[in-house]
Amino acid sequence: MSDLVLDVVQQALNGFLFGSSYALIGIGFTMIFGVMEKLNLAFGVTALGGAYAALLVFRLTHGPFLLVFLASVVAAGLIGLVVEVTCFRWMPRDYPLAALMATVGMLFFVEEIIVHATNGMPLAFPAPLGQLMFDVGPWLFRGDLGFMFLVSLGVMGGLWLLVYRTRLGLATRAVSQQPVAAQLCGIGLRRVNAAVFVLTGMVGGVAGALIGSAVGNLSPLLALPLTVKGLVTAVLGGLGSIPGAIVAGLLLGVVEYQALYFFGIGYRDMVTYLLLFAFLVFRPGGLFGSRAR
Amino acid sequence: MKRSTRVALSTVLIAPLVAGLTWSQAAAQDRVIKIAGVGAMSGVVRTFGVNAKATLDMATDEINAVGGIKLKDGSRAKIVTTYVDERCNAEEGISVIRKLASEDWLVSIGPTCSNVAEPLFGILQRKAGDAGDSGLQFPIFTDTAIKPGLAKISEWSFRNVPHEPTMYNHLFKWLKEKNPDAKTVMIGVESDFAHSNANAGIMEAAAKAAGFEVLGQEKWLLNDTEFSTQVGKFRRAKPDIIGIAAHPFTTCGAVREMKRQGVKPKVLVGLTSSATLETMVGCGPEAEGMIIPTGFAPVTPEAKRVAKTVAEKYKGNVDLHSAAVYENIQVLKMVVETSGVEGKPTTVASDRRKIRDGLAQVKEFQGLLGKVQRTEDRESTKPYVFAQARNSDWAVLYDPR
Amino acid sequence: MDFYVSLLTLFGFRILLGLSAYVVILTGQISLAQAGFYALGAYSAGAATAIWGWPIAPAILLGAVVGGFFGFLVGFPALRVRGLFLVIATLAFTEIVRMVFLNLKYTIRVGDRTIGPAAGEGFRGITYYFEHGWSGLQIVGFTWLFVAAVLVALWLVDRSRAGAVLRAVGEDELAASSVGINLTTAKVSAMTVGGFVAGMAGALYAHYASYVSQEDFGVLLATFAIAYPLVGGTGSVLGPVAGVLFFSLLIDGLRFLGDWRNLLFGILIVAMMNLRPHGLIDVGLLRRLTLRARRARPASQA
Repeated sequence: MSDLVLDVVQQALNGFLFGSSYALIGIGFTMIFGVMEKLNLAFGVTALGGAYAALLVFRLTHGPFLLVFLASVVAAGLIGLVVEVTCFRWMPRDYPLAALMATVGMLFFVEEIIVHATNGMPLAFPAPLGQLMFDVGPWLFRGDLGFMFLVSLGVMGGLWLLVYRTRLGLATRAVSQQPVAAQLCGIGLRRVNAAVFVLTGMVGGVAGALIGSAVGNLSPLLALPLTVKGLVTAVLGGLGSIPGAIVAGLLLGVVEYQALYFFGIGYRDMVTYLLLFAFLVFRPGGLFGSRAR
Repeated sequence: MKRSTRVALSTVLIAPLVAGLTWSQAAAQDRVIKIAGVGAMSGVVRTFGVNAKATLDMATDEINAVGGIKLKDGSRAKIVTTYVDERCNAEEGISVIRKLASEDWLVSIGPTCSNVAEPLFGILQRKAGDAGDSGLQFPIFTDTAIKPGLAKISEWSFRNVPHEPTMYNHLFKWLKEKNPDAKTVMIGVESDFAHSNANAGIMEAAAKAAGFEVLGQEKWLLNDTEFSTQVGKFRRAKPDIIGIAAHPFTTCGAVREMKRQGVKPKVLVGLTSSATLETMVGCGPEAEGMIIPTGFAPVTPEAKRVAKTVAEKYKGNVDLHSAAVYENIQVLKMVVETSGVEGKPTTVASDRRKIRDGLAQVKEFQGLLGKVQRTEDRESTKPYVFAQARNSDWAVLYDPR
Repeated sequence: MDFYVSLLTLFGFRILLGLSAYVVILTGQISLAQAGFYALGAYSAGAATAIWGWPIAPAILLGAVVGGFFGFLVGFPALRVRGLFLVIATLAFTEIVRMVFLNLKYTIRVGDRTIGPAAGEGFRGITYYFEHGWSGLQIVGFTWLFVAAVLVALWLVDRSRAGAVLRAVGEDELAASSVGINLTTAKVSAMTVGGFVAGMAGALYAHYASYVSQEDFGVLLATFAIAYPLVGGTGSVLGPVAGVLFFSLLIDGLRFLGDWRNLLFGILIVAMMNLRPHGLIDVGLLRRLTLRARRARPASQA
């Protein structure tokens, strides 16, 4: 096989695997927007905040990764609740831009807390699978990213069960479709909203811990890229579609890696964004979207 | 919430902001030398500002404790300092410098980021005393922003930062002597950061000058988190030496990926700004063996003393950047003593000019590692050492002094 | 004094940037492309004075026209996308522009200086003001000439039929098109005007800063562009002005708090949105003010 074929396949594989980190963060964005019709720009820092809390737990206890992972999930769930209370609970429902702007404030706030606590330094994050590599024929396969891919499928399955097989899921769907009717049926709007934010926060915590350990370092530098890539993934997949977010994340990864290989770094993002722009213009609802919102 | 409550709360929120804008420091006593530190105290570069401020406080407390600076007319003046945040943002940096210049600050030490230093120097008067040039007449003596060739932008801009071309030329020559069988070099660079980008060019030129063959540059961006493509190219090319022109965050990512893919060059070279605690905190074990030329290491008694005091009493870390703050204060003290600066509220403009002229005349001073030469274009040629990452700490590998 | 003059200059292009986003928001579109237009304006006007030796006024106009032209170009495809999809599409535009300038190398030597866009190292040497001995007052006056012109023009548009058309599109597209409003014209012209004003702001900024670099024109700047009208209010052109004042006070007015400033920055945005979700100067406040003014008028005439 020629080097070109070897490289292109390796790039596709790497892109696919790394794309699962986009998928994981995109799921959270798509959940909040799709289920609640709300835009939460603080979701990226919710995930990052969870990861930092987990790092704190790790430093204090030196416990096993499972404990660190759970700490991230719990902390991010709490941050999700804080975001709901401060940025959504009191906002007018007919003017989503106010809540949107408030979440931008929250993004700055969480980022700055992290900067103050760590002086902005990159900190090593535990990576139990960090050096796990498989040789697949002539190709290399990163174990931790493969694990992340499986987790994102697991999260998708779990969320599907939750939304379609539990009372909370039923209430959530009712609230998102007919808020007034849902209230008349005795569904507490506030409780459902809070529950969804805690839940998506926890998904963010999963993403934060796994991305942290895949990158190997936590840094406030991650806040903006996580937000942007998460949004892009959610939109590309069609807002509200969890399978869409996963496909979009993987696709984004593959496109980025091929663009990097063929055009170099200066053009990687340009090519990716051009394709994204063109795609949105020709298919304004995203991959799995039914309609433009 | 009721309308009146909202109105009341909004007023409570906004009133202190307006008050803050007009707020200024209490009137100064009559003989003071006012020096303003400018640097990043927020965002990912906050650690630079924190260390610079700690060192600034340490150096000035030390001088004030023995009575301050002795002026030419025999009276003594205390140093008064402040430290202002520029957020590593050009717009904010300009606004801050203009504010300092409009008050009675005599000189500024800073800024942290090269992308702030560029416009700051750009808005200064290009030739001192040129009446047709309305640029700001305010001396800036930079400690951190290290991108080569900046001070020549204006006659009011001075820098005391390591001269990267000299250091890397020497480093690669030295590497050639130590590893005669090493032939090829490859460079990795975060290409959207001005300083790293410039540094990659310096490394490439230095490697060529030392007789190495440069196989190419692999590029990534400041925010990137995955480096398999670039490291894959390293793996295939098998260079003897890999140079990484990147700040700690992506340096760590790159060396991690190198370990993962089993890329083991004979020598690993890093960016000056990564010879700090940050890299060790981020990825000490993976960066093991990395060599970086640096303008500071605790190798002299004076350097040890300053590093220890700043760490213990001021909770800061002295590294190649913050060490320059200490030196700059010593140089400014010398200039103030000899150039006839008066330190009165009425002599601000003439004092600034005297400081500028004084700084321009300094040809040499005693730095923390030894003699520092000043060049024609207001830069320093500083003594340096080659530091190497060993057991998650920086050790001195070679001391050419 | 100098400082306040400089701050006022800064307000000038921040207000222009906020106004450019405001025009687009009127039609119900949230655009992150304003940072891209701003960058285009900055680079083209910078090149005009520093490389081609143009006088300053045509250079600023060139920046505005370039911004407007790209606004026009982005306007058409943007018609097809809405809401968050438009946010992402316009973000893509801003990132593309940034990447173009990351790669663009076009420099000349003037004496011992290298001037012009030098790819990753930024665009140095946009020093028209200082070379021509302009004082701070002249710079602020020149900047505000543009700001005032744009403010007045937009104020007039807002009160005219055109303004009503834009707002109608923003309120309800379906209703607007059913009464015969041409959505394409309304949206594309809003985007074009937005691009024009943002390009002008960038052109003025480049000359104020003397050095520009792609890293200054990213998502963060785009976010601030929409934050000015959203926090200030979209009821009238005074909204973005209030928004700029609010943010500038947060940045420069809280300096005495030292380290706490940055922490408070985010919190205060959250607090402000909770207290005044429709912005500092919202429609309700405007209505009350006009009512009061009307009541006061006959009294004063009597």
